[in-house]
Amino acid sequence: MVKEIERAGIPVVHIATVTPISLTIGANRIVPGVGIPHPLGNPKLSEENEFKLRKSMVLKALDALQTPIEEQTIFS
Amino acid sequence: MRLELGKIFIKDVQFGQSTHVEKGTLYVAKEELEKLVLEDDRIIGAQIELARPGESVRITPVKDCIEPRVKVSGGEMFPGVVGKIDKVGSGRTHALEGACVVTVGKIVGFQEGLIDMSGPTACYTPFSETQNICVVIQPAEGLETHEYEEAGRLAGLKVAAKIGECARELEPDELVVYETLPFAKQVETYPNLPKVGYIHMLQSQGLLHDTFYYGTDAKQLLPTFMYPTEIMDGAIISGNCVAPCDKVTTYHHLHNPVIEDLYKRHGKDLNFIGVILTNENVYLADKVRSSDMVAKLVELFGLDGVLISEEGYGNPDADLMMNCQKVSQTGTKVVLITDEFPGADGKSYSLADGVPEAKHIVSCGNGNVIVHFPPMEKVIGMLDYVEMQIGGYDGSLKPDGSIDAELQIIIASTIANGFNHLAARGY
Repeated sequence: MVKEIERAGIPVVHIATVTPISLTIGANRIVPGVGIPHPLGNPKLSEENEFKLRKSMVLKALDALQTPIEEQTIFS
Repeated sequence: MRLELGKIFIKDVQFGQSTHVEKGTLYVAKEELEKLVLEDDRIIGAQIELARPGESVRITPVKDCIEPRVKVSGGEMFPGVVGKIDKVGSGRTHALEGACVVTVGKIVGFQEGLIDMSGPTACYTPFSETQNICVVIQPAEGLETHEYEEAGRLAGLKVAAKIGECARELEPDELVVYETLPFAKQVETYPNLPKVGYIHMLQSQGLLHDTFYYGTDAKQLLPTFMYPTEIMDGAIISGNCVAPCDKVTTYHHLHNPVIEDLYKRHGKDLNFIGVILTNENVYLADKVRSSDMVAKLVELFGLDGVLISEEGYGNPDADLMMNCQKVSQTGTKVVLITDEFPGADGKSYSLADGVPEAKHIVSCGNGNVIVHFPPMEKVIGMLDYVEMQIGGYDGSLKPDGSIDAELQIIIASTIANGFNHLAARGY
């Protein structure tokens, strides 16, 4: 899906836990997720801290989307 | 460690007043076993049913398959789970070879599988050739899924250990001795043969995808070194789920073909040093850490070559490739054993990940192939969940009881350790 959307000219940020697979399939902008069952959250955190985590990940992804890159990049 | 494995060959299974073996027939005491299962109040219904090779019987949803065995000396069966925590892998064990306990019941998640005892799909599972004692369980209303998974897992293991007990005093039909010496002595024994190890990756993803090592959840492990006989003797048991086709059932841990084949060549053209046990966790940091430790152990023991087997597919392919790459970088030769999932049309990548070092791969088959299951006269368990089970889909189940589904719904059809009959060939 990442590759097809980019083929249409729209940049994509792939938020994925297993970043080596993301690199293998050819994603260009990658933001590491938390865990496979919960890429954008952490059930061990309090609701308040989890909200902060989620917000920071989305902001990081939005930054990545606007960052010019020359090669596949992991924004960790 | 030196293990004497006494095999008592079972050619038929029948109900009897007591559980015992007579001239190759295993008699099981139905009510006694059902009572044993019902001791766990999380299970409110238990039924023992028998299924023999060649019968028109379909068994589903299957959770685990377990060979009935008894530790005659040197520990207890399934330590840390059924028996007391103690080391296994030495002493004497008796196995009722040819018999198998199969746990069946309404699905926990969607990963349970199917066994046909006859017909065109029977050949894809080794459990169409065993004399099966099926433990059909009914969970208490509203039982939480993790609790249900554990209750089902323990039910099968307890029944297998109980049946195995009748083999304690029997004279085995065949006695096989397996022995691996302490590391330094093992190296000295065959100084001119290549030192070969086996890297055994266990499914450990939580969410009902777990494996247990001496009772410890494998996701809590750091990679460790084992004598191969420990695995052959019940140190590792399977959690209930994972895709059915490449779930390593408890039966397969007891009968790991990589270990058995390495022993066959032990002292002839290779020196089988031991097993590195590792996991497949859901956090990237765990995958990186575990594969680092695997490569460190390979280097520490100076292995010349390793075989690596995987359990499951998808993200565990990343663990497989990390292990391959990091072990290769220590200068050790690597062969990977896996199965393939290239989609229904066969056009997608077979594995989710790959590295340039993965040059030698053994494939155990394609789990996405769609096969036809003709109706059977009898169903042990239920067909209610076929379309939700992995490999099934909307419209899989036909009104006459026949099924079209992917091969991956069949227990152990593409198991990634070479136990099955499928393979890939290059043309």
